[in-house]
Amino acid sequence: MSGFFSQAQQLQAPDVAYQAVLPMLLVLGAACVSVLFEAFLPRERRWGWQVALTVVTLAGAAISLIVYGNDAPKAGVKTFSDVLTIDRPTLFLWGTLLLLAFGAVLLIADRSVEPGGAFVAQAAIRPGTLQDRVQAAKVGMQTEVFPLTLFALGGMMVFCAANDLLTMFVALEVLSLPLYLMAGLARRRRLLSQEAAVKYFLLGAFASAFFLYGIALLYGYAGSVKLADIATAAAGTNRSDTLLFAGMGLLVVGLLFKASVGPFHTWTPDVYQGSPTPVTAFMAACTKVAAFGGILRVLMGAFASTNWEWRGVLWGVAIASMAIGAVLGLTQTDVKRMIAYSSVAHAGFLLVGSIALTSKGVSGTLFYLLAYGLTTVATFGIVSLVRDADGEASHLSQWAGLAKRSPIVAGVFTFLLLALAGIPLTSGFVGKFVVFSAALQSGMAPLVVVALVFSAVAAFFYLRVIVLMYFSEPAADGPTVTVPGAFTTMAITIGALATLVLGVFPSFALDWAGAGGFTF
Amino acid sequence: MTPSYYLLLSAVLFSLGAVGVLVRRNAVVVFMCVELMLNAVNLSLVTFARINGSLDGQVMAFFVMVVAAAEVVVGLAIIMSIFRTRRSASVDDSNLLKY
Amino acid sequence: MTNLAADAQGATGLAGSAWLLLALPTLGAIVLLVGGRRTNKWGHILGSATVLGTFVYGLALFFSTTGLDAYKRTQELHLFAWIPVNALKVDFGLRLDPLSLTFVLLITGVGALIHIYSVGYMSHDRDRRRFFAYLNLFVAAMLLLVLGNGFVTLYFGWEGVGLASYLLIGWYQDRPSAATAAKKAFLMNRVGDLGLAVAIFLMFANLGTTQYSEVFAKIGTLPSGTILAITLLLLLGACGKSGQFPLQSWLPDAMEGPTPVSALIHAATMVTAGVYLIARSNPIYDLTGDGRLIVTIIGTVTLLIGCIVGCAYDDIKKVLAYSTVSQIGYMILAVGLGPFGYALGIMHLLTHGFFKAGLFLGAGSVMHGMNDEVDMRKFGGLWRLMPITFVTFGLGYLALIGFPGLSGYFSKDAIIEAAFGQEGWRGWAFGGAALLGAGLTAFYMTRLVLMTFFGEKRWKDLKSADGKDFHPHESPKSMTIPMIILAIGSVGAGAFLSVGNRLVDWLEPSLGGLKESEHFVIPKGTVTILTIVLMLLGVGAAWLFVGRKPVPVTRPARVSFPVRAARADLYGNALNEALFARPGTWLTRALVFVDNKGVDGVVNGLAAMLGGTSGRLRRAQTGFVRSYALSMLGGSILVVAALLAVRFS
Repeated sequence: MSGFFSQAQQLQAPDVAYQAVLPMLLVLGAACVSVLFEAFLPRERRWGWQVALTVVTLAGAAISLIVYGNDAPKAGVKTFSDVLTIDRPTLFLWGTLLLLAFGAVLLIADRSVEPGGAFVAQAAIRPGTLQDRVQAAKVGMQTEVFPLTLFALGGMMVFCAANDLLTMFVALEVLSLPLYLMAGLARRRRLLSQEAAVKYFLLGAFASAFFLYGIALLYGYAGSVKLADIATAAAGTNRSDTLLFAGMGLLVVGLLFKASVGPFHTWTPDVYQGSPTPVTAFMAACTKVAAFGGILRVLMGAFASTNWEWRGVLWGVAIASMAIGAVLGLTQTDVKRMIAYSSVAHAGFLLVGSIALTSKGVSGTLFYLLAYGLTTVATFGIVSLVRDADGEASHLSQWAGLAKRSPIVAGVFTFLLLALAGIPLTSGFVGKFVVFSAALQSGMAPLVVVALVFSAVAAFFYLRVIVLMYFSEPAADGPTVTVPGAFTTMAITIGALATLVLGVFPSFALDWAGAGGFTF
Repeated sequence: MTPSYYLLLSAVLFSLGAVGVLVRRNAVVVFMCVELMLNAVNLSLVTFARINGSLDGQVMAFFVMVVAAAEVVVGLAIIMSIFRTRRSASVDDSNLLKY
Repeated sequence: MTNLAADAQGATGLAGSAWLLLALPTLGAIVLLVGGRRTNKWGHILGSATVLGTFVYGLALFFSTTGLDAYKRTQELHLFAWIPVNALKVDFGLRLDPLSLTFVLLITGVGALIHIYSVGYMSHDRDRRRFFAYLNLFVAAMLLLVLGNGFVTLYFGWEGVGLASYLLIGWYQDRPSAATAAKKAFLMNRVGDLGLAVAIFLMFANLGTTQYSEVFAKIGTLPSGTILAITLLLLLGACGKSGQFPLQSWLPDAMEGPTPVSALIHAATMVTAGVYLIARSNPIYDLTGDGRLIVTIIGTVTLLIGCIVGCAYDDIKKVLAYSTVSQIGYMILAVGLGPFGYALGIMHLLTHGFFKAGLFLGAGSVMHGMNDEVDMRKFGGLWRLMPITFVTFGLGYLALIGFPGLSGYFSKDAIIEAAFGQEGWRGWAFGGAALLGAGLTAFYMTRLVLMTFFGEKRWKDLKSADGKDFHPHESPKSMTIPMIILAIGSVGAGAFLSVGNRLVDWLEPSLGGLKESEHFVIPKGTVTILTIVLMLLGVGAAWLFVGRKPVPVTRPARVSFPVRAARADLYGNALNEALFARPGTWLTRALVFVDNKGVDGVVNGLAAMLGGTSGRLRRAQTGFVRSYALSMLGGSILVVAALLAVRFS
């Protein structure tokens, strides 16, 4: 025994810059507390405590982030024996994640739009049975969704800060596993929801196997999984390039899957459609931020020196993604599926900025992520409001003539769609502008032209919805627009206002996004 | 016997797993094939650790096992719930969301 | 008066608060849109007042600027730094110079008149308030377009006017044709916008700036290929917005919108934005003769297409729309001549703004009195019933065909002369085409006037679409007064602007001096005479084939045999067509066919192709997890194989 302790004392515990990682620790710690709430609080009191805990945690994490960010060293801090890097892009991504998660949590917590919330009270009850019909009518929801959200958020935060591939892999799983479960928790249309969960889970596990195999090959190549070591090895050695490029390819495929970049997007439409809408909002906004944070860091950190060999391939992927998103979006008949395809197209635009590999490319992509995430949260907030007796009326034909029924909802939705299309005076335009100009400066003019063409094509399907809402006669038995409760109203307001403010006065956010580069 | 045979074996196992995901219908078997892929990766990690003469790869294999175990918990829960509904574990039966 | 840019001429005094020009109509639009039905009662008054106020302020600015020395007339007003990131700096600022002030006066002046006119014209529309909100929005965006001090600001205004135009074309939502026309306008404009956007990207990528002053200072350092590319892309933008070949076909369809919209947006202001863009970019166009040549060719082709197609339509607004296409063709032709023509293009733009807006308002007045009928074959003999409309319309007509002394004569004749001033084949080709266009213009406009205001009262035995009798009557004062003011402009503007080179000298700080060609393929005097002769030939031909008809000997007889008279009229028309109009119609039909099948076909076909592809591809999303996994595996193998192939090839 004494030998064991003396050995343990010889082990040097790594230094931890607690102030820098406080936001992350707060979120993960609160996730654990939240699990305890589930275990020990009586069922009827859980909702209130969970909402309070989640909101307070997010606010606290945001405050600690701001306090630290004010005088953070520009070069960034490495901590936990160098597996995490807290540099400027990390701070920006964390801020973005916290803000978006706040919006999504407001949607998740809302119990007024759908009586009792969008989540099932007991996921274990079989759909279609008597018990299921009873619980559909019963007020009360599965509050496990809150610890799951916090765990997923914590995983995302680690993911964007990870400085080595193993940490990245663990974080990837920490963020994915709760999302798989959350996808299956819808109160209505349980079959679709369960199917979404199964599909997301199987394909996600499949993709993480690729990701992991990529890590193994890169480990074989460089003898280490730290991004900096891989970069050093790639810069000048006579090791096997087969390992390097095969490993990189598989690694990137895993990341592209999470970011729903085509042709690795196949899960996106199905899962977006089947999941409960607040979860879709969380997934669409936050996962994309985390995944692109990871893509930026990996490409800049480990593979910058070999870029002329892989850039062409990622050009192809970006074009494929934009084409798939823009073209397939044209004929969708379900609002959530249509936005899913729009997210595939946007993933292509983001990839254009990510492979610019310049500081402008990084800051542009970061800004785009913030703008896109906020618009997306508000968009799904609106989608959750249009309902008929059967739950959400997400079929596009049911949206015909919505402007006559509810001009405000239709107006806000139009504005958000214009932002997604990238019309000036919205954040979407500024985002596209900074990303494309960064790409132009790093010599990718043909890609930018292609991107512009596809953004014009994509503009068409947003326009289709607007025309449908304004210029068609509403169906007689059409859906009603629910008056949103305080939570949903707040989420939509935040998203729509931010879309406007970032479109008209983007300079402050662009300054933050461009405050400093990555540290490896 | 050179370590590269282990790498080859690992690649073969990974491919078998991937093909299994594509051809098997039962969700549990599909999931097992994914696990096979993960374990194939473990084999390469350990082999590379041996080649590089460092312990990192072996430690990573442990991490992968833990993560795989967590994945099993979540995955089986999801597969169970859909099995109870549909009385079938075939992944081809879950086919409502499409186009 | 904060944030004055130190460079160039900082705006001071009255000009320091030039942002008011944008703020007033924006405020109007916001109040009307946000205020909703509460503002129904006074919405139209507010809408007109904001634009009128802007006009008065613009007039004050104008007079304070005319007092300055020529080199002090260009003022920059820096408002705020808009997108400041690293190398990319886009400042939001205004540029007040003779060119932009000229446009400010045109937009707000004609805009105010049309706002007042709309009070009467739209009085039966339930949503009149929203209409004024959109009109104000348009005025604000158009002012932003011309006042911005950089290409990005211009692009904002450009998109803004596009949006307003789209909203207003689709105003009558219950008509499917209006929705289709709005969509068509949107699509074709996107093609042009793409060109403009890429041009801006090119400037930024090569010069690191998009502000006019810096772009124009540095543009000479670029290789000539890049300059040519920029000019052609700008031209594509201009073609989309101004309805130039090959993107002209949305403009006639845009006549589905209310007539005041056609007058303001699709005749006087927005569609001339392309001319503004090219004139504003004159330092770029000065550097590339090839670029200018292509501009000239596009202008020439468009002006002929517009004239010829205009001869065939019976819809009064469509004829006027094609006439607009053709007149903008003249302007593009003029600015394509470079230093020989920038100022002439702007002059024709101004005079055209007066008489074409007046003609549209006149057409609107006729429609107002005729139960919204647009088919000229159902008009006839209206001059007595609508005297004010007839006189004002007639003056606009004379101005448009270039009757000596009226405004169109001064501006169009100058362009035709300048076109003949080009060397060699260019002088013959462009000058000849412009001359021919003048004759055709006289023909179709005379035909329009004859069919509408003279001849038999063909509407007497007809019913309107909603089954009522026609009771043509003069329009209310709120409509006739703007028409009278515009008619005065149509008569006098040309002489006022051209006597003593007033406009040319005024615009010199913005556009450079107007050069006079030294070599004319035909002497100038001869050109003037030829223009007048061709104009008279056109009028005569129209009278021969449309106006002349078997006239009954006595008036009472005609009244007592209305059926026979009407039949004879129709018979006469058929004869006209068989003898003369048929070949023209064939030519026209061929052009319309090319227009519909070729250009529209490309647009529609592209949309259909994308839709079809989309419909087929979405079947690939089968819903089976295993097929998704297969596509992922395939994608991964492709990516890895491509990476290895690039590395080891």
